[in-house]
Amino acid sequence: MFPTKPPANKFAQPLTFLLCFNCKTENSRPFKEGDYVFLEVEEKCPKCGSNKMLVTGIYVKEKQEKKKEV
Amino acid sequence: MAFLLYPGFNQRIQMSYMLRDLEKKLNKLKMIDEDVKAKTIESLQRYAEEGRDVKSELEKLLDSFIISPESMDPYGIVWKLEHIVNTWEDRFEEDVMKLCSKADNMKVKTLTNLVEVARGIHYIYRVVRHYYLLGKKTSNIYLILQMQMLMPQIMEIAEAYHYASYAFSQGQPIGDGIGVLAVAKLAYGKEKKTYEIAKDTIVQEMDFEGRKLIIVRAVGPGGTVGRPGEGVKKVVEAEGDKVKLIITIDAGLKLEGEDSGKVIEGVGVAIGGTGVDKYKIEEIAKNKGIPLYAIVIYESIVEAITPMRESIAKSVDKILEKVKQTILEKVDKDYTVIVAGIGNSVGIGVT
Repeated sequence: MFPTKPPANKFAQPLTFLLCFNCKTENSRPFKEGDYVFLEVEEKCPKCGSNKMLVTGIYVKEKQEKKKEV
Repeated sequence: MAFLLYPGFNQRIQMSYMLRDLEKKLNKLKMIDEDVKAKTIESLQRYAEEGRDVKSELEKLLDSFIISPESMDPYGIVWKLEHIVNTWEDRFEEDVMKLCSKADNMKVKTLTNLVEVARGIHYIYRVVRHYYLLGKKTSNIYLILQMQMLMPQIMEIAEAYHYASYAFSQGQPIGDGIGVLAVAKLAYGKEKKTYEIAKDTIVQEMDFEGRKLIIVRAVGPGGTVGRPGEGVKKVVEAEGDKVKLIITIDAGLKLEGEDSGKVIEGVGVAIGGTGVDKYKIEEIAKNKGIPLYAIVIYESIVEAITPMRESIAKSVDKILEKVKQTILEKVDKDYTVIVAGIGNSVGIGVT
């Protein structure tokens, strides 16, 4: 009978994966509102400095868990 | 001590324990309902005009209902259901559009999804509260027991709705969008003709190793499932007898213990929802004698409506490998194949 407020943002936030058009390196950063898959963004590639990248994926990274076979 | 032996007393104690457990979960459901509602109001307010009473207008939408068609005479029920569902979807979208006059068309679709999530969790809360109060009022232990047994699954779905509200408010792709994501990747970088074939549904025509490949999918990156049944039907009618195969790609419910993102092949039409789209594709395929192939990607109900997980997103390459292999094996050159990517297109752009 003593409700507590649910913690905000307790859910895992997805990452945005970007592919550099120039050096073909895949980078990731936290998702920003307005991102969508196959969006071409003008962001600097951390590797080659080119400023055109493609959003190739937006998903929540999963930890590799060793599963017990049932 | 003698009163403990009184028949039915133990049952009363057990019932009070169960009621207390239900009450705790009901309180949690109420918090989730309120949090989702607050999130929805906050998102709608960003696109509404100043001074508009978003809260009361949202309340109206949350309490709205849909009456399914009469099935005493089942003849023509699919078309009646389609008419009612289309009216409902159009009205819901129009109401959100009127409320959020500053939002563009794509954002309106995502906000409509968000309102639907808020409506879904509000309905769950109302039903659980109903059975809790009814069980308490009538002291019906069997009603309370059934409710208590169902609560773990209900809470899991409620948490999923909670998480889904975050995804829709920000336009993040969800697990259900894997079918759309797969066909978007299939079309990416190819020379093609793109046009709208039904409401929120687009077609992309391209060449694939001498075969005509026609992709049917919901338009993105706004949140919509489109009308793939209507889309496929129109394509088959336009192509005549040239269509030799229809492949549907969709997320499918996995059983406990199975891996998420597992890609499975089968026959039939892989589409959920009301059944109207499935019926339309089956009907036209049967009339024209077109084989129906389905590719399903395993995921749980929670994963389907929450932001896409890595294992699901990474299954795209496997799906495309299977699609390409099936086309090469089953469709001769110069013939047509339809590949329908089924699911919600939120966060997935048109390639």
